[in-house]
Amino acid sequence: MTQIEESIKGWGRLKEKGHINDGMDLSAVKPLNKSSLAMRIILLFLSVLTIYALFTIDYKSIDVPKAFADTISNFKTIFLHPYSHRFSLWEAFYEVVVTIGLAFLTTLFGAVIALLFGLLAAQNLAPKQVTNMIKAFVAFIRAVPTILWVLIFAVAAGLGSAAAVIGMTFHSVSYLTKAYSESFEDLDRNVLEALTASGANWWQIVFQAVIPSSATYLLSWTFLRFEINFANAVAMGAAAGAAGIGFDLFMASEFYFDLREIGLITYLILAFAIALETISLRMKGRLHKRT
Amino acid sequence: MALLELKNVTKYYNNATPALSEVSFEVREGEFVSVIGPSGAGKSTLLRCINRMIEVSGGEIYFDGVIASKLRKRDLRKLRTKIGMIFQHYNLVDRLTVLENVLHGRLGYKSTLAGVLGRYSEEEKKQALEIIKLLGLTDQVYKRCDQLSGGQKQRVGIARALVQNPKMILCDEPIASLDPNASKIIMDHLRNISREMGITLVVNLHQFNVALKYSDRIIGVNKGMVVFDGAPEDLSAEQISDIYGSESGDLIIEPGEKNAS
Repeated sequence: MTQIEESIKGWGRLKEKGHINDGMDLSAVKPLNKSSLAMRIILLFLSVLTIYALFTIDYKSIDVPKAFADTISNFKTIFLHPYSHRFSLWEAFYEVVVTIGLAFLTTLFGAVIALLFGLLAAQNLAPKQVTNMIKAFVAFIRAVPTILWVLIFAVAAGLGSAAAVIGMTFHSVSYLTKAYSESFEDLDRNVLEALTASGANWWQIVFQAVIPSSATYLLSWTFLRFEINFANAVAMGAAAGAAGIGFDLFMASEFYFDLREIGLITYLILAFAIALETISLRMKGRLHKRT
Repeated sequence: MALLELKNVTKYYNNATPALSEVSFEVREGEFVSVIGPSGAGKSTLLRCINRMIEVSGGEIYFDGVIASKLRKRDLRKLRTKIGMIFQHYNLVDRLTVLENVLHGRLGYKSTLAGVLGRYSEEEKKQALEIIKLLGLTDQVYKRCDQLSGGQKQRVGIARALVQNPKMILCDEPIASLDPNASKIIMDHLRNISREMGITLVVNLHQFNVALKYSDRIIGVNKGMVVFDGAPEDLSAEQISDIYGSESGDLIIEPGEKNAS
């Protein structure tokens, strides 16, 4: 009898243990480990900092509500009454085309150079030492912003369009090299093996298998970079004197303080950006239809 | 005279165990040889050592009168044009058409520039189309390869190998991803290639009953060593369990029904 009782108790204990285990499993769905703890501490720290900063900002003598009202009225002038005193709409249009030209040229240069670098940086196409070297080099270029490269080259080429072209090309090369090489690496190694086995050489394999297989990716990355370069080209016009609409924007805001002109230029840039976006979407759509 | 001869071929991937150890055999011209054995036995390694996709660690390989294992880059390319290869996963460029994929088999004969630009002569195109017709793919010539079924893709793979005008074709598990119907079509095509064109075939196979049915000779490989080399008729149940290990006994249906169809 006693034996049986003990064994029943034992069952009970086991059952209890089982329950404890179940409980642990449930809480283990989101365990409080090191990384989630660190995340919570950081979030707490940031919220404390934000609240502290809001209370200790030096507002000087600015009347905040009035400043808001003034800003809104400025925006009203910019966006509701766009007009230019200095140039005609046609001239402004021409300047935007100059900016697009800058973006197009740097993207084209970048794409051609990046194609070669991308091949050499793809692990399935080039020896490991070469890919590592190029990837490190390109990562370094990418880490420095485009505008800094333009200013660095301005030392040699002088502030202006030459420095802007070189600097923007530089950054485009690094960006596209990374994008291209990753598209190339997506390609199945087996296809390369099949062509090597039939006696094809490296260049033949690249042009007959690698590029046809990744053409869609290459094009969509290049378009993305073109859009980025368009925005960059506007900024370069303002910051590095690379002409184009950016320079006019800079003059309107910094020199003439002409809010209505800023409005006009902003609308123009917006219109072109939308047009570019539409074109690139259309082309991508057409490519996808073929795939 | 032997077209292919392996002498004590050894391959180490790392220094522990050899993937191939002291493999020696000869293949005569026009022979249909199946290499069977369990997964990981070294069948794929063996095949890739022949066309130097994998470098051997020791031993020598003679092909068509030259020492394949000692060739330099340019001569190696020339050697590879004479050896076609077919793969389990077909290894086609999916975004290109059937014809373009088939013509890839000609790249080894072309100058770099002509290959890069994809300029093929009329004669090459005619030959490619003829081979495509032979394999029953005429309706698919301008279809992209990702629209084909597995069996059709493998036929494109065969066409790509044939357009090389090879003396020998290496087939690495050609039917391992195919259903029985497509497998039969592929194996029948391979037999025709061997019988009518006189091309030597070395085929890695998982299904040994297929090997028994189609091949002139069987080479059994286990743990990197040749454990059987002879006619399909001579393969006894005991030897099959030697090749695949003792566990395989249940799966074995009576061997020796070579000419069933």
